[in-house]
Amino acid sequence: MFDLGTSSVGSVNVMTSDKGGLTNEQVADLAVDKIVSISDEAPAHIRQQANQFREHLKKVMYHYLLLARKEERGSIVHILRSNGQKEMAEYIRRL
Amino acid sequence: MAIAQAMCTSFKKELMLATHNFATNGNAFKLALFAEGSGGKSSTTATLGAATTAFVTTGEVASSGTYATGGGALTKVAPNTSGTTAFTDFADLSFTTATITAMGALIYNDTNSNKSVCVLDFSSNKTSTSGTFTIQFPTADASNAIIRIA
Repeated sequence: MFDLGTSSVGSVNVMTSDKGGLTNEQVADLAVDKIVSISDEAPAHIRQQANQFREHLKKVMYHYLLLARKEERGSIVHILRSNGQKEMAEYIRRL
Repeated sequence: MAIAQAMCTSFKKELMLATHNFATNGNAFKLALFAEGSGGKSSTTATLGAATTAFVTTGEVASSGTYATGGGALTKVAPNTSGTTAFTDFADLSFTTATITAMGALIYNDTNSNKSVCVLDFSSNKTSTSGTFTIQFPTADASNAIIRIA
């Protein structure tokens, strides 16, 4: 056989949740998985450094995801209050 | 194994016949979810692999939340090359407020007679219960992209 090349199918990552959307931690994991990929063939010290970077990145992502959700809720609360929906606004503020 | 990850053999031939167009303004592609055992509609079991030539309903999961039978539309990442490898990819796909148990998926060409592209094996059952079911595609590069030709 005269083989000119190969074709490959990559691997997907599946993330699921119950009774609601993905948690901040799951979303942070999805983001970090997309940003950092570490080759199995990389030298051990490179892999170790990359894993440390990955953990740090995950913490930073998680923090800012929390902040983003909190700030969005703040905007929603403001809009609801402006439209006289004070009870609903308070309910969302407490989430 | 009823669901085996593979690039469909018919797809490889169809690439040579210019059947599939992955350009951002090209064909529409969909991803449908499948179950093994009792997860699918009417307890049917999917049989998917390299020999799959087109989308089939056998073993597809039932509609739930934002998942409708036939699957979800994929957003294409324009084909590219790196070194001697050509690749293409898709944006992540999520189904929300869905109760789904799936063991794998089929990517197929919705524009062109539902011809199959590749089968994805999740290795184990993935379940969402009134929640989100997200399929994250790999980074679009020569080492990881979902479809690569080296």
